[in-house]
Amino acid sequence: MAESLKRILYVEDEPDIREVAKLALEALGGFSVEMCASGEESLEKALAFAPQFILLDVMMPGMDGPTTLRRLRQLPQLASVPVAFMTAKVQPGEVAQYLELGAVDVIPKPFDPMTLAATVNGIWESKVPGAAKA
Amino acid sequence: MSEAEFHQKMASLKELYRGQLPGKLDELDVLWRKLRDAGGKAGEWADFVRGIHSLGGSGAVFGFTALSAFSRALELFLQPIADHPDTLTDALRYEIDDRLAELRRFADGAEPEQALPAATPAPPAPETVERRIFVVESDEALMADIVQQLGYYGYQVERFGAVAGMMGALRGQSPMAVLLDLDCVGAQGALEAWRQMDNPPPLLLFSYRSDLDARLAAARGGARAYFAKPVEFNALIDALDNLAADLSAEPYNVLIVEDTASLGEYYASVLQNAGMATQLVTDPLRIMEGLADFNPELILMDMYMPGCSGTELAAVIRQLESYVSVPIVFLSSETDVNRQLEALGQGGDDFLTKPIRPEHLVSSVRIRADRYRILRHFMVRDSLTGLLNHTRTKERLDIELARAERLKSPLSFAMIDIDHFKQVNDVHGHPTGDRVIRSLSRLLVQRLRKTDIVGRYGGEEFAVVLPDTPIHQAERVLNEVRESFSKILQPAEGKGFSCTFSCGIAAYPAHATAAELNNAADEALYAAKGAGRNRVVRSGAA
Repeated sequence: MAESLKRILYVEDEPDIREVAKLALEALGGFSVEMCASGEESLEKALAFAPQFILLDVMMPGMDGPTTLRRLRQLPQLASVPVAFMTAKVQPGEVAQYLELGAVDVIPKPFDPMTLAATVNGIWESKVPGAAKA
Repeated sequence: MSEAEFHQKMASLKELYRGQLPGKLDELDVLWRKLRDAGGKAGEWADFVRGIHSLGGSGAVFGFTALSAFSRALELFLQPIADHPDTLTDALRYEIDDRLAELRRFADGAEPEQALPAATPAPPAPETVERRIFVVESDEALMADIVQQLGYYGYQVERFGAVAGMMGALRGQSPMAVLLDLDCVGAQGALEAWRQMDNPPPLLLFSYRSDLDARLAAARGGARAYFAKPVEFNALIDALDNLAADLSAEPYNVLIVEDTASLGEYYASVLQNAGMATQLVTDPLRIMEGLADFNPELILMDMYMPGCSGTELAAVIRQLESYVSVPIVFLSSETDVNRQLEALGQGGDDFLTKPIRPEHLVSSVRIRADRYRILRHFMVRDSLTGLLNHTRTKERLDIELARAERLKSPLSFAMIDIDHFKQVNDVHGHPTGDRVIRSLSRLLVQRLRKTDIVGRYGGEEFAVVLPDTPIHQAERVLNEVRESFSKILQPAEGKGFSCTFSCGIAAYPAHATAAELNNAADEALYAAKGAGRNRVVRSGAA
């Protein structure tokens, strides 16, 4: 069944970027956003929040983005939730590598706060089967 | 939440971020001091690099573009060291000290957003009608003379019998210059008006008066030149030609050598917005290509780069004869005067300390490039015509030939000689002969493309290099020039006369070396003379 995007889990270690992203996604996209400061925290919060979409920073201390993705995928409830990576170093080879890991897309950093919500919606609509336009 | 509220919240987040920047840098300093002195473990290096990385990311999100660019540059610089901490040398320690201090300067009250140029290019200058001159002259005989004389040199004259008419016409268009007879009624009013105008067209004055008072009044009115009557037309034409040259001046070519592409692009965009042409070399070991292809008038160089340092590179450039005098300006956060001097001793010309304000960068570069261009002009140009001299023309032929070989494109080379020139000198005198030479040089420059190279080979002989031009095309263009030249009425005592030229052309790849091209074009020129002059002959077609 087609559904529109509401709940986003966002994993990012940098507090400043978390603030901006939360503001941008909630205020301009109307999403409900759960913020996590680390991969570990996301593993604790993800099940209760039941996100439709997950945004993962690649470069984080401790558990990095790809590792976090693998661990999230091990939880049956989250095995099929679409994930997009966010990274500053977007080179074609790297994008392919992230897609192989199971991400649906890669959002380059720095993102523009004004357009982040639209970018996320675009990915949701074009890459996620059964997605509906918001 | 409304969009206004959103923007307000963004602004306060940004303010918050700005306030936290010094604290973030303090933390980075603490980390660095540990690593600097103790070598540090891999994990500590990773923390340090990640800290810089975060600054790059968060800076960009909040619009601190310059801070972000410098952080990214530092991150890239640090990564290989973090991977192999044992490669940390004293030079690298200093460099990292500097770069952190640089970031600090951005955080401490600097307004980094303003350090970036607006994305939009500078507004274009109001369009000036090329070679159109407004002349205000109530004496009809003198007006006729002016129109005729200026006409010989390709200037179109718009005539005005009175000041008021000219002032009215200025509202609609901008001529290349205004020529005003101060003895006309209302001329003083025009001077007054010139003082009030923003960006008025250049004003040239002439008058019966030649006393200092009159000249002073003219200078105060912003006049570019002042001629006492009777008007010496050669001097007037020179003044106009100088104005025309200012207008058609090509942008300065600035070669930027900076291993961090984002920083290099930043400097490039600052200079481009100021109307300069830039080329960026991110691999210092590939600078030779940039030198040969781009012909820089100034080299802006980072001091610390992988592979070789800026000072080493400057020393290498100085060993090349063609680049012995091109200004080299180092960009560095180096503030130690002794180390700056050491770098200048290796061949640099100046030191700009990073971070540099864009307007300072632009003016530093412009002043030096301008001076270089003037010096270079005297070094390489023929004094009568302003064309390239013999040596320099040959050099350019070599360069263009090498490019043609590389790009597998054709190239034509022409030699031109004014017919019966000795007679012109004998009959009309040398000043008239010189004027004929100048009229041909002007015509060549006007009619050929900017990319074509026109040189005075000596005496009444000229050479033209036409890159990317097959021989039949060169022949057609030069025939057009030949016909125009033969129609020019050369002014002389009594009545005017006309001149013609003969021309020989040879082309690459039929002739593969500069020497062969020279010989073949020379032979074709000789054939043109033999066949009756006033013609263009292709090599091999004779």
